[in-house]
Amino acid sequence: MTSTASSNSKLPPKTSVPQSTQYHRLHSLNWTINWPSMAAPESSTATTAVNNTLRHAFGNVLSFFILLLIGVLAFSIRLFSVIKYESVIHEFDPYFNYRVTQFLSKNGIYEFWNWFDDRTWYPLGRVIGGTVYPGLTLTAGTIWWFLNSLNIPLSVETVCVFTAPIFSAFASWATYLLTKEVKGSGAGLTAAALLAMVPSYISRSVAGSYDNEAVAIFALIFTFYLYIKTLNMGSLFYATLNALSYFYMVCSWGGYTFIINLIPMHVLLCIVTGRYCPRLYIAYAPLVVLGTVLAALVPIVGFNAVMTSEHFASFLVFIVIHVVALVYYIKGILSPKMFKVAVTLVVSAGLAVCCAMMAVLIALVASSPTKGWSGRSLSLLDPTYASKYIPIIASVSEHQPPTWPSYFMDINVLAFLVPAGIIACFSPLSDASSFVVLYIVTSVYFSGVMVRLMLVLAPAACILSGIALSQAFDVLARSIKFQLPGFPTNSEVDAGDSNPITVEAKNNAPKTDKTGEPSKDRPSRKNKKKGKEQAERPSVKGKPEKKRLLVLPMGASILALLLLVLLSAFYVVHSVWAAAEAYSAPSIVLTSYSHDGLHVFDDFREAYAWLSHNTDVDHKVASWWDYGYQTTAMANRTVIVDNNTWNNTHIATVGTAMSSPEKAAWEIFNSLDVKYVLVVFGGLVGYPSDDINKFLWMVRIGGGVFPHIKEPDYLVNSFL
Amino acid sequence: MDSFKNKPGSRGKITDLHSIVNSQRSTVISSPTPTPTPTPTLEEDGLFSFTPLTRTKPKMAISPKNLLYFLLVFLTVVSAFLLTARSESESDLVDDLLSLQSQSKSGVIHLDDRTVSKFLTSTTAPRPYSLLMFFDATQLHDKTELHLKELRHEFGLLASSFIENNNRSTKLFFCDIEFRESQSSFHLFGVNSLPHIRLVGQTARSVKDDSEPMDQSDFSRMAESMADFVEARTKLTVGPIHRPPILSKRQLTLVVAVFMIWFPFALKKIFTGETLLHDPKIWLAGAVFVYFFSVSGAMHNIIRKMPMFLVDRNDPNKLIFFYQGSGMQLGAEGFAIGFLYTVVGLLLAFVTHILVRVRDATVKRVVMIFVMLVSLWAVNKVISLDNWKTGYGVHGYLPSSWF
Repeated sequence: MTSTASSNSKLPPKTSVPQSTQYHRLHSLNWTINWPSMAAPESSTATTAVNNTLRHAFGNVLSFFILLLIGVLAFSIRLFSVIKYESVIHEFDPYFNYRVTQFLSKNGIYEFWNWFDDRTWYPLGRVIGGTVYPGLTLTAGTIWWFLNSLNIPLSVETVCVFTAPIFSAFASWATYLLTKEVKGSGAGLTAAALLAMVPSYISRSVAGSYDNEAVAIFALIFTFYLYIKTLNMGSLFYATLNALSYFYMVCSWGGYTFIINLIPMHVLLCIVTGRYCPRLYIAYAPLVVLGTVLAALVPIVGFNAVMTSEHFASFLVFIVIHVVALVYYIKGILSPKMFKVAVTLVVSAGLAVCCAMMAVLIALVASSPTKGWSGRSLSLLDPTYASKYIPIIASVSEHQPPTWPSYFMDINVLAFLVPAGIIACFSPLSDASSFVVLYIVTSVYFSGVMVRLMLVLAPAACILSGIALSQAFDVLARSIKFQLPGFPTNSEVDAGDSNPITVEAKNNAPKTDKTGEPSKDRPSRKNKKKGKEQAERPSVKGKPEKKRLLVLPMGASILALLLLVLLSAFYVVHSVWAAAEAYSAPSIVLTSYSHDGLHVFDDFREAYAWLSHNTDVDHKVASWWDYGYQTTAMANRTVIVDNNTWNNTHIATVGTAMSSPEKAAWEIFNSLDVKYVLVVFGGLVGYPSDDINKFLWMVRIGGGVFPHIKEPDYLVNSFL
Repeated sequence: MDSFKNKPGSRGKITDLHSIVNSQRSTVISSPTPTPTPTPTLEEDGLFSFTPLTRTKPKMAISPKNLLYFLLVFLTVVSAFLLTARSESESDLVDDLLSLQSQSKSGVIHLDDRTVSKFLTSTTAPRPYSLLMFFDATQLHDKTELHLKELRHEFGLLASSFIENNNRSTKLFFCDIEFRESQSSFHLFGVNSLPHIRLVGQTARSVKDDSEPMDQSDFSRMAESMADFVEARTKLTVGPIHRPPILSKRQLTLVVAVFMIWFPFALKKIFTGETLLHDPKIWLAGAVFVYFFSVSGAMHNIIRKMPMFLVDRNDPNKLIFFYQGSGMQLGAEGFAIGFLYTVVGLLLAFVTHILVRVRDATVKRVVMIFVMLVSLWAVNKVISLDNWKTGYGVHGYLPSSWF
């Protein structure tokens, strides 16, 4: 099926054929290319063609149902939290998102856009409309509105609770599409199934964890899919869709900077390694122009989309790709000699201009104090940055660097499979597979710096493991199938001599296996072919080399297959366990098992209810920032600081108050009109993450702004 | 709380003065009528005459700027008084130290038995300076596990940074002392193991008992942690450590020049497609290496500055390679697991991409069995180590009727 396609994918720059038609050809490869290639006697051609159509159609229907089941799996594995606890919003940030969604559904989008919230950051307040990523809220709000207009009266809370599981089903479908573009649909299905239950993603998308990441991971994968699709097809339609998808991602999560740096990196990589082609231009240039304009529409991003260093890489590459495109164009219209003359002329002038532009850019960047980079991005580039300079970032547990058990916990056996996937992507290296490799390399590095970015790694790990697993299954299943006792060519195969059946080509062109079920229709052809002569094959292929069946010994293959299935089974067990035990706790309701059975601690909600019942509605409640969102959402009381850590000084003030003696603390709190102070004490029930546990960070953050608070004063050692 | 410990103005001359300022500051806060409480040391120095000056304090202490100004005046007068009130020899000592300091390149004064007795043992307890002493032994420099050379270098950095940041302060001097030439001093301080850094404070009467040794943990993070130690004990500000740039200016211009010459050639090569970058194998190796590096948690080791292994506390001959508890890992441990993570995938890829092309069936069979055994072992090892380290009991959810 793949011989011509293989030679196609090996050619680095494909410029001659109009791209869209070429893609078309690839799409219908089985028909236009393979069929004639293997049709020796004309008489049988028609019947096999019909046969293959049926098979093809059957494969597509099967894929569809598999995908449906994967969607169901992705949704249902995330329901443990609802079953074990209740349908409740989890943790801290989701409460804020829930509150915003409530406001949106009650007051409409324009009110939401202009919402100034005076319940938080007292006395400063916060402009919500301009300081949130609205994607999640708008998505859930739209779902709620849509369901209500269909007369399905779901509460806002229910919609919020189930947004994340729904979007993880979407995310696994997007993974299927992306992987299918890279290595065919077999790998796509495997990757989608892996993503549906990867623990790292489950941890952020269980029912009730209503946070930006829930929709953002879908948007991330889908944007990548559309980029690869455009790259493969060269269609402006998909390029536009890509920009729109990028817009949705920008709306949803600050992690969009990963996209706007990764894609330029890939483009640059393609250019440097001599893989430039017009499709690359179509995939990239509209994304930058449209994407940047759209991104600037989101209030929280605004002019950051053109002013901060996180975005400069994309503009730089935008210039580079234009220069390169121009060079290729001129190369095409000039004779080689003329071209050389032109190059020497242009290069000298062009270099000067480039240097000047670079100098301006560098000066611009250098003029800002943090070199235009935000603290979080800087701590990715220089991992030791945050721990040295920004305690507020270093203090968050999800910003810590992970140790090896974290990888085993979060991507489990995928950690073993990824290297095989990387190698599979290199044989052969196509534009799409190089993108996936770049994705895994950058994301695995970032995840090594901050444990929360494991979430970005998870899709990449699933894609590469899917590729690795499906290739391994492919080879092993093939080895068993063609060496079954009933199989005619059996005896020769084992010897590994020149066997007529060509499988080798498969390794060269998995990228073009877009037709659906590579492993499905291949055997059929082989069945037909096995008795036929191999004489015509070289002529069609133009490859005179000897072909043979690439198989492994049967017994060992069965064993290996068994081991791989065991490995996958372990993954399933681990994922289900992680979903059920590790990641489903809402952390607003705590449970503990002791010898006399299950204990449920609902103290948080009781405390917030107490505040709501016993205090005046305008009273101010001070607490450490972790509890800010919950206090506003559940108790509806004004707080001093909350989890949106935008004002370090304000947080440091509270930290100072918390770490000062009573009188000084009283003065600070009094100056902030505080009537109540909420502190969490876990000593009695053994709840570890209470305020005593966080106390050292209060000291550190307070000391970061008010130097009279010194960490050594609070440590025992300094008194010795 | 001595809330003004770290005021910019307090970077002045004498620590004892701080206690006065601080105690007065706290009285200002707690009661409207301040009563100056000079410390005994100052009484010895005959500083009673300063009580009138301190009386003006409540007004001035309100604004930090005023306080700074006041402190400066105050300290100048105090030091002027000191010079006259105390024996001349003390200022001579400081001058000697300063001149010794300026003679050395990094600002670390080299002491021997004679100078130790001159600056420390023969002076009386409240000296106008503290000494931070680095105990060195040239014969141990080749023992790499002691890191004496590196520590000495860091110590030099600390000294030069302190001197630069504090404008030749006479409060703290950095000294080193060599074992061969000053054995009796080593004995005097009771130092019998290296590396050893010791702070002899101004009030230390007995150099052995009253001085404070630096903990192992205090020089683990090199000059920065030494600075923390100094700041915590002496209440002086060390300021940022000035590390020399990796490349000096001349080297930098050389590098730039080489780059400028090399750049056009590189550009040409890139255009013709002949660089290493065009070899996918390089990219492949790089990608796998980055993967290995990251999953082994090496970034954690770098950020947390974890050692490769620990020495068992109960049995110094035994080394601990694996740390129990999921929040932390040791260097060697991470690399071992990273290797296990990576090797399984590489073997799988080897089987599916290379081994299938081998002709000999026996070779295939043997290699496959070997690969499977290794993979099985690696996966099992990781699973068991993970269970041991984290204590999680991963289990399935089978229907109870099956049992």
